[in-house]
Amino acid sequence: MRIPYSWLSDIVPGLPSPHSTADLLNSLGLSVEGIDEIPAAPASVVVAEVQSFRPLEQNPTLFEVCVSDGSRSRSVVCGAPGLYVNMRTALALPGAVLPGGAEAVKSQSIAGLHSEGMLCSPKELGLYDYSGGLVEFSDDAKAGALLAELWPAETVLELELTPNRTDAFSLLGVARDLAAKLDVAIKHPAQGVDPGVACEEATEALSIDVEDAVECPRFTARIIDHVRIKPSPLWIQRRLAALGLTPRNNIVDATNLVTFELGQPSHAYDRERIGAKLSVRRAHAEEKFAAIGGQELQLAPEDLVVAARDDSGADTPVALAGVIGGAESSVSPSTQQLVLEVAHFDPVTIRKAAKRHKLITDAHYRFERGTDPNLPPIASARLAHLIEQVSGGKARSEYYDVGVARQRSEIRFRPERVPFLTALAVESDVQKKYLERLGCVVRTTSDGHWSVRPPSWRFDLALEEDLVEEVARLYGYENIPETFPTIPFVPDLADVTYGNLRMRLASMGFQEIMNYVFVSAHELEQAGAQPHKVVLESPLSAERNVLRTSLRPGLLAAARTNREWPAVAFFEIGRVFTEQETERLGLLLRGEWGTQGAFEGRRSDFFVLKGILEQLADLAKVALVIQPEVIPGLHPGVAGAVIWNGERVGIAGRVHPEIEKAYGISETFMAELDLPLLGRPETFAEYSRQPSAERDLSILAAGAEPYDRLEAVIRKAAGPYLLDVAPFDVYQGKGIPTQYKSVGIRMRFRHPTRALRDEEVDRSLADVIAALQEAGYAIRT
Amino acid sequence: MKTEAVEEVQRAEDLDALQQVRVKYLGKKGLVTQRLKTLGSLDPEERKIQGQAINALKQEIEDAIKKRRAELEAAELEASLARDRVDVTLPGYRLPTGGLHVLTQVINRLLEVFRTMGYEVVTGPELETDYYNFTALNFPAEHPARDTQDTFWTTDGRLLRTHTSPVQVRYMKHRKPPFKVVAPGRVFRNEAVDVTHEAQFHQLEALVVDTHITMADLRGAISTMATALFGDGIKTRLQPSYFPFVEPGAEFAIWWENPRTGKSEWLELGGCGMVHPNVFRAVGYEGFTGFAFGFGIERLALISYGIPDIRYFHQNDLRFLRQLRGGL
Repeated sequence: MRIPYSWLSDIVPGLPSPHSTADLLNSLGLSVEGIDEIPAAPASVVVAEVQSFRPLEQNPTLFEVCVSDGSRSRSVVCGAPGLYVNMRTALALPGAVLPGGAEAVKSQSIAGLHSEGMLCSPKELGLYDYSGGLVEFSDDAKAGALLAELWPAETVLELELTPNRTDAFSLLGVARDLAAKLDVAIKHPAQGVDPGVACEEATEALSIDVEDAVECPRFTARIIDHVRIKPSPLWIQRRLAALGLTPRNNIVDATNLVTFELGQPSHAYDRERIGAKLSVRRAHAEEKFAAIGGQELQLAPEDLVVAARDDSGADTPVALAGVIGGAESSVSPSTQQLVLEVAHFDPVTIRKAAKRHKLITDAHYRFERGTDPNLPPIASARLAHLIEQVSGGKARSEYYDVGVARQRSEIRFRPERVPFLTALAVESDVQKKYLERLGCVVRTTSDGHWSVRPPSWRFDLALEEDLVEEVARLYGYENIPETFPTIPFVPDLADVTYGNLRMRLASMGFQEIMNYVFVSAHELEQAGAQPHKVVLESPLSAERNVLRTSLRPGLLAAARTNREWPAVAFFEIGRVFTEQETERLGLLLRGEWGTQGAFEGRRSDFFVLKGILEQLADLAKVALVIQPEVIPGLHPGVAGAVIWNGERVGIAGRVHPEIEKAYGISETFMAELDLPLLGRPETFAEYSRQPSAERDLSILAAGAEPYDRLEAVIRKAAGPYLLDVAPFDVYQGKGIPTQYKSVGIRMRFRHPTRALRDEEVDRSLADVIAALQEAGYAIRT
Repeated sequence: MKTEAVEEVQRAEDLDALQQVRVKYLGKKGLVTQRLKTLGSLDPEERKIQGQAINALKQEIEDAIKKRRAELEAAELEASLARDRVDVTLPGYRLPTGGLHVLTQVINRLLEVFRTMGYEVVTGPELETDYYNFTALNFPAEHPARDTQDTFWTTDGRLLRTHTSPVQVRYMKHRKPPFKVVAPGRVFRNEAVDVTHEAQFHQLEALVVDTHITMADLRGAISTMATALFGDGIKTRLQPSYFPFVEPGAEFAIWWENPRTGKSEWLELGGCGMVHPNVFRAVGYEGFTGFAFGFGIERLALISYGIPDIRYFHQNDLRFLRQLRGGL
């Protein structure tokens, strides 16, 4: 919402400087996002009146235009359409520098004719954004007048309003808040305007039938005769330009001006096109409507329209109520008689209609947020008065009014709630003054509390807390002190954001990444993840329209993004959306594990990945097992289920070579585990101070025999003093029968309280050997 | 023999050779040992003289050997030190350097501050229902506020939460005041992504409820947080604003010195206010007041690190991530 400062100061007497006003508005909650300083019209530009013009023979798109600059005639060559005799426009004299123009305007020869200056479009002058023709002024612009004096600089406050403060979507609304803060009386734009005589009955001249008083609680119409369509006077053009609008003609401009001035949208119909019988009704099925701007709308039965019935009985929509008028029935250059519609519509109806037809208009914008239901008669009078001023027309004294004035409900209010909630010590009588300045009616009730009736335009005020905010707002949030309550609360310190796990992984060499939760179904399929369960209704991109069921697509995408790096190690902790929303940890490894270059590194392989998982299990004090398993998306021979403390928590393995190829990455290893990874609590247990004894064995096993089976046999047979067992060598090749492998095993034995004797250890070793042989293994040494 | 033996000792080129010399003269069958064995056949007087001479000889040879051994050992050490010499200017062998995502770092820092202030950290689902995201938070069914938060709805009628505030409702539904909680999390808005807008980003939300919590307590909490983050000399500013789930509502800003630019400025951080009575009604609370405040993490990270484009956060490009790994 743009608020021209000069306009605002017409309504609020004694307004401080623009910057101070901006500070005030911010403190009131009407947030000023920027201050736009608009320069005056450029110097050496004068108002000129077209005296005659003729197309050039050699180029009929150009005209030789004879204009009066107030003191003499000048000849100018111009290519703009829409010239007419007596047109008042702007002439840039030789020497004028236009905004955005690199060089000064000069006298020059164009197509063999001498051109003494340049006739300008609004855009060329920097007035507003229109370049389809010359700027057009009305009679109040006298030929020869310096435009810079008629069109001075302006300061515009750019407001970003919150959706509750719809009352402030106008000059009047902003002025009211400021006046309440400054404790001054506003100069209402409709002040002193005769409202006319309300007429509730249909007459020959006009009848209005409102089908549903809920969707259209108030509808007023007023006839204005003898209007003449022409450009608006300068002051209106300036104000519209400062709002960011394009001036069109006096009638359209006046309705726009009042929309922004009072916050009340309106619409002007050409009376000859709509006849005398109007109704506000739902659209019929299959009904069509041609809107201003040429768009043809296919109406829905939920749409509210204003319809006109002609003599033949045809009942045609002339406006999509509260959103947009019709192309046929709107003001045209030949219009002489108007019907002014100023109404109040149900916000939800308007919002849905605008959304259905994808229309955004200044009218719908206000109606869908809510306008003052009691404003239409006042705005109608103001608008009629303004149109009389700018068009020479005459408004009829009676106006048609369907609907009644409304009152907002009273709110029970306890002044002591202000200090209780805000810690602001505001006296009751001061609170009362604040509320009254905002337009509330305050009365004391028999129980000593207050009953506060908000004004019709403040429908954000419904609860006591809303009024507390009003008082606090005017008193000033800046006066709220800082206090530090001590409350008896003992927080649970659980690490719900996995801060510790993240830190561990970062320390182990993994870089954390973050991916979007939305992916494409194809990506999920490609990564071998579970098919999607949740689909977005209106995704950002049509392709990425489902929620991830796995972290794997994101990790793979990150690997692809960084495929130029010799090595990557990524982790991500995030939600996946399967039957439920769960949190997972994903790991990805590719390339050298450790430095490349002068030293021999180790290429990331399954065992680097498994080692990382084992480290995590070690830290959690639980056992980690990987069970061979064919996992979709992973290499069938290099993958398995991750069993954490006896529970299946996820998968680990090499990415399927086909997927590696699809992503353009070399051998890549991934794991994906459900969180939380529960650990055992850490407690101290006395450790053994005894030395341990080692025994090695070289065992011959079938090539396909998994190591964990062998280890299980050993653990079972080795007796109570076995401390740990680990392979130190797995060998196939020379000296070993084909189809077999040699596994070197080291066992460590220890007694908790005394040194073990050699014989004891040897006895255990003999038990192990016997058990292994019984299980079908051969012992090599 | 003496000269001969000493010369042989001195000629020994390594410890093995020296050992052989030793055996040759002083071993069980060594030349000197042999001579000592002949002493028994001499008469006492002669034996004494010869004995002394042979022992002197033995001593001299042993001294020579000892000296030579020291020399050889020193040479050997010298050689091995030379052998073990490395080029210390070569780069070190290292495992990869990991790091936390910069947003995690910012969140961790904030959580540390809130934990110090006695808050409990809580989280909630990202896939939410209309009830928790809007209705229970006092968004009326047809209110434009639902529009301003262009929401990702799912085909089964759920939504990706548009703010962390649903966590307030979820927490309050099963807990009784007093409490102080902070909820970090990921949120979603269905808006076009550009330099300053993301469809997926992070927020942090604080909620304190007791029998008499005031806006001054709110301001104090914001001030404490800001001081912990940015150090002394900060100021806080509250300006009236609107969020359906608070009343009175405000926007808060912090006056801080940006260490990157050295400039002091208002940092408009987020929204806050007193918990709306309709929210308390939705969770069945009566007789309590509370405050809530929340803000975006990305904005804080962008400003603190001088990152020009919010889209960097989810691109997962190591050229970005490796610059901000969290330090030592």
